[in-house]
Amino acid sequence: MVVGVDPLGIVRLSWARGLRITEQLAQDAMALVDETNADRKRPLLVDMTGTATLTRDARRAFTRRCSASRIALLGRSPVDRVIANFAMGTSSVPVPTRFFTSQLAAVAWLRDGDTNT
Amino acid sequence: MATPTPEEREDRLDQLVQLVVEIASGDGGARMAPSPASDGIDAVIVGVNMLAEELQALNVDLEGRVAERTVQLEQAQLQLERLALYDPLTGLANRTLLGDRINRALARADRGAAPPAVLLLDLDGFKSVNDSFGHTVGDLLLVEVAHRLTGVVRDTDTVARLGGDEFALVVLDATNEQVLATAERIRAALQTPVQVGERSCWVGASIGVCFAQRGQDADTLLRDADTAMYAAKNGVRGTVQIYETAMHTAALSRVRLAEELHGAITGGQLVVHYQSIVDLVSGLTTGVEALVRWRHPTRGLLVPSDFIGVAEDTGLITALDRWVLHTAVAQLATWRATALGAGKFVLHVNISPVELRTPRFADDVVQCLDRHGVSATDLMLEVTETQLMGEDAQTVAALEALRAAGIGMAIDDFGTGYSSIGYLRRMFLDVVKIDRSLITGLDTDRHQHRVAAAILAIVDAFGLEAVAEGVETAGQAERLRALGCRYGQGYHWGRPVPADAMTALLLASAAPSET
Repeated sequence: MVVGVDPLGIVRLSWARGLRITEQLAQDAMALVDETNADRKRPLLVDMTGTATLTRDARRAFTRRCSASRIALLGRSPVDRVIANFAMGTSSVPVPTRFFTSQLAAVAWLRDGDTNT
Repeated sequence: MATPTPEEREDRLDQLVQLVVEIASGDGGARMAPSPASDGIDAVIVGVNMLAEELQALNVDLEGRVAERTVQLEQAQLQLERLALYDPLTGLANRTLLGDRINRALARADRGAAPPAVLLLDLDGFKSVNDSFGHTVGDLLLVEVAHRLTGVVRDTDTVARLGGDEFALVVLDATNEQVLATAERIRAALQTPVQVGERSCWVGASIGVCFAQRGQDADTLLRDADTAMYAAKNGVRGTVQIYETAMHTAALSRVRLAEELHGAITGGQLVVHYQSIVDLVSGLTTGVEALVRWRHPTRGLLVPSDFIGVAEDTGLITALDRWVLHTAVAQLATWRATALGAGKFVLHVNISPVELRTPRFADDVVQCLDRHGVSATDLMLEVTETQLMGEDAQTVAALEALRAAGIGMAIDDFGTGYSSIGYLRRMFLDVVKIDRSLITGLDTDRHQHRVAAAILAIVDAFGLEAVAEGVETAGQAERLRALGCRYGQGYHWGRPVPADAMTALLLASAAPSET
């Protein structure tokens, strides 16, 4: 996984394609995001395009409150959409979270609130 | 990536159907890998995989919870079983479990093993501890006794608490020597005082033993052990009694006697006889003791020693005492109006210590006197010395209330129990009745004379009056008078007689009012 902050102040987390996201990976990613944000709360854009699956324990790990103020999940395929909705639907996420297939729409939603996916 | 051909899509759909079938058949671990196409079919495959994982995890959670609940249920059941089968205070087996253990031992005996024995024991002196130090100390004492009993039996034997201060032991494959050795160990274990906080409490045990016979049932065995224990309790306390058939016969006859006594109280079979109490200086009758008699329809005239024990055991003593009190006070009122005039004359009535623990007893006595217009100073209540042991707050309150009303209190049969000087110090006492065993041979036995003299000196030192009981000869009366004893009672002056006869005696008496 890769974590960085773009010039707009959005923290970006990109998962490698074909990855099976486990609880440990989920915890490591959240720790990295928290470390990047230090004491600040910032929007988070997660590029999950092409991930293979998300385990149940990993989904549960994402319910822990982190330093993200809101989270946009970015994907492309129907598979990405199903995985993203599992992540959002079967767990109660602690901050506003939505799935996008357009990076522009995702960034816009993260910067100033609601927009279409 | 290449777009899948229709055949490839058809093939994946077939595999997806197969996956759903496998999961539906109970294979929670079935999964299917999506294709690199990541198309709609792959989305459904990933969704089904994740739903299957969710289902599997939920199943595991559920099974875990079922297992947890099962453990909780088993624990609850064990706890219930404990409550149902064990005594909560001591942790010993209760009556139910004891019955079960006896039945098992009897079943073993039916298969050829030696029959068991049951030991039933009742603590001597426990009531005094409870009354004097309270129930908390009493409970701690019971716990310690339970601990000691457990320490003197074999692992195969059962110790149970039947309630109150009654315990039972089942000894398996019991030989006579073994059981008697166990009983002896129990007695020895209880000889050391029990330390409860700063208090040392002594209790003994009366033990009844019953050896089971093949074919006997648990209830009969327990009943017979209880009968033997009862015999031990009523003999010399702290002894061991082995059950004999005659004991059961005696117990049955006591039950019959209790039934008959109940009818006798309400059916007019009781009468009061009166025995003179005489001033040893003037020779005049200064009072009478009311003594109950039972005109039994088949056994003739019965004296209190024939039935008071049964009355006390069955609770009939209260009704009996009240009947005697009311009858005798009514008689005194009649005598006051006819034979006695207003001079000093005291009616002595025996009461059970149970009465003193009955709320309103003192009020009832005062009401009885009022109803018959008898002065409180005309009445003297007698309580046996041994029975007064372990006086409790309620007893003391009753004694104080009686005293405040002006009613006299005498300690009866002094010299037969602990003969505690402590009693003589008590503020509630007026009279000490010296037991006949200290009077017999007074005029012939120098040792007896010295003992009587010492007791009379002590009574006098406490400013109390003495009544010597069982005076049978003029010599005894003379010795007593010389020793400073004020009053006497006994065959020397006359046996207890019915009211009519006593009326005649009182009328014939020169001047009862001069005493």
